[in-house]
This record gives sequence, C-alpha cells and structure tokens, in this order.
Amino acid sequence: MTLIEAEASGLTASESAKRNDLAARKPYIAEKLRNIAAMEERGEISPIIRLEKSYLCNFQCTHCSAEYYMDRHLEKVFKIKDERRKIDLDDIRRLSREADELGLARFVITGGEPLVMKDFDAVVEAIDPERHYIITDTNGWFLDLERAKHLKAIGVEKVQISLDSMIEAEHDAFRNKPGSYKRVMRAIDASLEAGLNLILSTVLVRGRGKTDEFRSMCEFAKQKGIGLYVSYAKPTGSCTEHPEFVITKEDADIVRELEKDYPVFTHMTPSYGSYKGCITVKGIITVTSTAEITPCPYIDFSLGNLRDTSLKDILARGMRNPWLGPHRPDCLIGEDPKFIKIHTEKTKGAVHLPLPWGQGFSDNDSLLDD
Amino acid sequence: MAAVSDALLFDDFGRCLPTAAQSPAHPRSRRYFTLQQPDIDYGASHARLLRHLGAGETVDAAAFAARAEAILARLRADPATAAITRGVAIPFILPRLAVDDMGRPLDERFLPALGRAFEETYPDYRFTNHNVGGLDGRLHIHPDSRHAGLVEAMGQAERVGIYFPALSEYSIPAALEQVAALPRHFLLAGGVDTSAALISAPGLLLRTDTYPPLLWLGALTSDQPGVGYHFEAYGYNLTFNRRPHLGQAAEYWTCGLSVLDGD
Ligand code: SF4
Repeated sequence: MTLIEAEASGLTASESAKRNDLAARKPYIAEKLRNIAAMEERGEISPIIRLEKSYLCNFQCTHCSAEYYMDRHLEKVFKIKDERRKIDLDDIRRLSREADELGLARFVITGGEPLVMKDFDAVVEAIDPERHYIITDTNGWFLDLERAKHLKAIGVEKVQISLDSMIEAEHDAFRNKPGSYKRVMRAIDASLEAGLNLILSTVLVRGRGKTDEFRSMCEFAKQKGIGLYVSYAKPTGSCTEHPEFVITKEDADIVRELEKDYPVFTHMTPSYGSYKGCITVKGIITVTSTAEITPCPYIDFSLGNLRDTSLKDILARGMRNPWLGPHRPDCLIGEDPKFIKIHTEKTKGAVHLPLPWGQGFSDNDSLLDD
Repeated sequence: MAAVSDALLFDDFGRCLPTAAQSPAHPRSRRYFTLQQPDIDYGASHARLLRHLGAGETVDAAAFAARAEAILARLRADPATAAITRGVAIPFILPRLAVDDMGRPLDERFLPALGRAFEETYPDYRFTNHNVGGLDGRLHIHPDSRHAGLVEAMGQAERVGIYFPALSEYSIPAALEQVAALPRHFLLAGGVDTSAALISAPGLLLRTDTYPPLLWLGALTSDQPGVGYHFEAYGYNLTFNRRPHLGQAAEYWTCGLSVLDGD
C-alpha cells in the first residue's frame, strides 16, 4: 500500500508500514487480517483467541483476573489439586487448524505469566506463527533484550507488557513485587530494540482516569510512540474482593475523551471508524487450561469444551446467546449490574472455573428474569 | 389523522409493542439502554434549526410550538396511541426541499448542520461522520417504510414533526413490519427527520449516567443488503456511521417513528 493509499484507507503511515512489513514476511496472515472487515460485514466473526495454557506466575497481583484459576488458589483456599485434564500441544495444534479454517488469525498467549512457561516456544510452534499472528502478554520480568530477540526469532509479533502505575512504588505494590517497575522499563526498551510490536497494558480502577499518574502514563506512551491498552477492573478474580475497584461509566468516558489526545485505547475503542463495543465472542474468546472456551477474559462461564465440541459450534452458541452475541457499547461484565449479579451469584463458592456450559451460560439464557 | 383501533399500540414508556412483527424484536424490554426526554425549549430549538439547517423560515418559533403540541395532543386523544407521548418525543422542522436522492441532502446539508449544532452546544465534544466516500446514490427509501410520504411532504412546504425513538429492540425488518400495522400517520424515521430531531435536541444521545441506544435510520436501505446507517454516542461524542445489522435485533438498537403535522 502506498502512503496515499494508506491515507485514503484511513490508516496512519506507521500502521501502514507495519502492515506492509507483515505482508512481505507473512503474506498468508496479512491476507487473513485484511479479510476481517469483509467477514464482519457479512456477519461472520473473527475473534482473537487468548490462550491460557498455564496459570503459573511469578507475581501475585492485587487485581489478577486469573487468580481463581491458579493451582496456588485451589491449594490455599480449597486444599485440593486441580485434577481436570489440561490442554496439551496436540489440543493447541487442533485449535490452530480449526481457527484457521474459520478465518481466525490472531492468538494471544496469556496466563499466568507466559514467559515462565517452560514450553513457551513449543506453544508458539503449535499455534503456528506462519498461520496466525501471535501476541504474548507479559509482566516484563523476564523480558530482557536476549529474550525479546528470541521471541521475535520464533515468530512472536507483538508483546503486551503490563504497567500499573507510573509511580514506581505504586506499581510494585500493586504487583506485590519489588523491582517489577524497573523490569517493565527494561522490557519496553528491549522489545523496541528487538523490533517487536509493543503495547503497554494497564488496569483502570475506579477514579484512576482522573489522576495525574494516569495522565503521565498516557504522556509516557505518547512519547515512546506505543499504544496504551486500558483494561477496566472487573468484579471477578481477585477483584471480587475489591468491588471499590470496579469502574463507573464516568471512568470509561474519561478514557474515551483521552483517546482524542493520546494513543490510549480499550478493546472497545473504535478502530478506523469501526465501532465494535463489547467484543465477547465477536472479537475475543479465551481458551482456558482445561480447554474450556469463555467469551471474554473476565467471564467465568464456559461456552463449551474444545474436546467435546468444535470451535465452530462453540462460537455459534456464543453468538446466539442474548448477553453475548448482540452489539452493545458497554462492558458486560464490568458495567451491566444485572449480568454482574448473575455472574457473582453463580460463581460464588465455585471450586473449578469456568463453570461448564449449562451451569453458567446455556441456550435458555434471557435478558429478562422470566 | 387516520382513524385507529382501540388496541394498545405502545407500552407505558412509549415503546411500540411488536404486535405485528414477524422478524426479530424483543417482546419486552428491561429498559437498559434508554433515552431521557430532554427539556424542549421551542425557541432555542427553532433558532438552532434555522441557524444550522435553514429550517423554520416560514414557521416561526410560536407556530413550531403550536403545531408540535397539536401533534402530541392528537396522539394523546386517541387511547391506542396516547402512550407514545409518555416516551421520548423530539419536535423538529424539516426545511422545504425537493429530494431525489436520500444520500446527497444528508451529506451536503443535514449532517454538516448537525455537526455544527452539536459542537456549538457541546464545544468540548465532537460530532464525527465516519462514512467515507459519501452517501450520494447509496441510500434508498424502503417501500414499506412510509418514509416516501415524509419526503414528498417536505418537497411542498416546511413541515413540523415529532420524532419518537419508540421501536427499541426491533430489527429493521421488524420495524418495517410493525409500521405497516400502525395508523397511517406513523412513518418510519430515516435520515432527514432523525438529523433534524438531533439538531433540535443535540444532547439526545449524550448521557453521563447510562448508555443511550443506537438510532438506526430504519427507513433507508443501503447499497449493501443487511448494512444500515445510524447515529451512535461514543462517550459524550456523537457519531454517524454504518454497520451490518443483518436483520437482527439487539437490546442496544432502536428505530424511530416520525409523525408530521397535518397528516
Ligand atoms: S465483557 Fe466485553 S467489554 Fe467487558 S471485558 Fe469482556 S469482552 Fe471486554
């Protein structure tokens, strides 16, 4: 695409350059990504697949949405071991193929902390970096220059590094890990030097949008020329015990206003004029370590297990669910009080998450009480 | 105004009951995505419509108020339609304009006027028309929408009307089916009337406490089947855009009805 074509299409020059680079290196993936807009116009979906192969983590963050999935939580709270069968590399290969057949193009390796996984490279290979655009989440602790170059070499395209505050002590306290802020700064520089695409991700708790600290994080992202992905604190995971973290519409609207001046965005931020709103199933799914598929990282209800049901059928289930399929502008699990209540009541005291299909979501769901 | 049956057509909040819709429409609403009735200041609305849209040259503010109130009074007087007046109702004036293409007047006159009216009222926020490439020749009146009557009427004289976002949680096909079952003076809203209503009340979609619905131009079909045009809030900002609807219903989606004076 020439610069003029890029401008006509509404792309920025740097986004256009990134797409050109990908098209030259990985034309198959670039073609799939190009097709997404046309698929959506036909009513087909192309969700990003978040893969939670393992929940191992070297941190213990105050707001972690995965805490209740972790072995350490089951052992500490319920004194049990998770005996459910775990996803393996064959499952991931099959998922990669099924996703490819449906035109899906993007995987995010998440967790836990992906970079502590001993089989991280094997997981990347099983997803297939020639077939899918691969992103990894990380808290940055292990991401030095050598590791960043290695990630690039094995086919990872992008990293999402978590940064919770521009105040070093606050970030470290939130992450319960002294030194973690300095490691994030190192990871940012390492990723840029290694030629990885990079975004920062941060959790917005109630009231944070108005603070000088948040503004300075936006400034930092702007100066570095990197995107700042904002995820709202949801009343799930560790945040169940911190309802005061859950945002209000005002917080969400503050971020929407900041988007005008800073490279800040949520996954609901319109991209090039496309307003998706909440992306449950339509734009995102999570595959848990037990092969369950949930419609969003924060909703602990499964739409089915990949070992019993095809990805295609699971996505169809999700799209016909009245909470998940229809277009909506707000965050279902973060802002809709009725859904939050249903979710809280059903997951309360549950040992194993997510709740299987039929116990959380089912084909009988309704927006109304009866 | 045409005679109507006594059967209730609207619920207590002014929502049109989907009695005749075969296509997807929610039988009831939990009223999650809602609009609030703005205070109507006929003088200010008239001034805005005149300043930005050039509507109201032959209808002064007093006549605007009288004619709009007369529409509401006639609807209230009929038991079958009285409840629509308990919902959101936005008076507007359409300029006298002969329209042979539904897209061009939106591009050239109505959307720029709405942008000016919105940003004049809310200088910190933006109106964004995301439609690239223009609307000329791309929008057509659906034959079942009765919208052609509105366009014909505005070709003859300035017209006063009321916009009701009453078809909440309807698919566009269901809105078309339902409007066919309503008294003849109910017209499915399209681009010119919805724009004029938003110029009259620029803050209709600006809500700080909850999320307002998206407003479809249900009377208009696009060059691509299953894709429609709409107004939508983004935070405190207002947008005009297109998206696939594919004949589906959503809690977030609303179509509007317009009633003109003299019909
Ligand atoms: S509910 Fe929707 S908006 Fe909220 S986190 Fe999940 S996908 Fe995102």
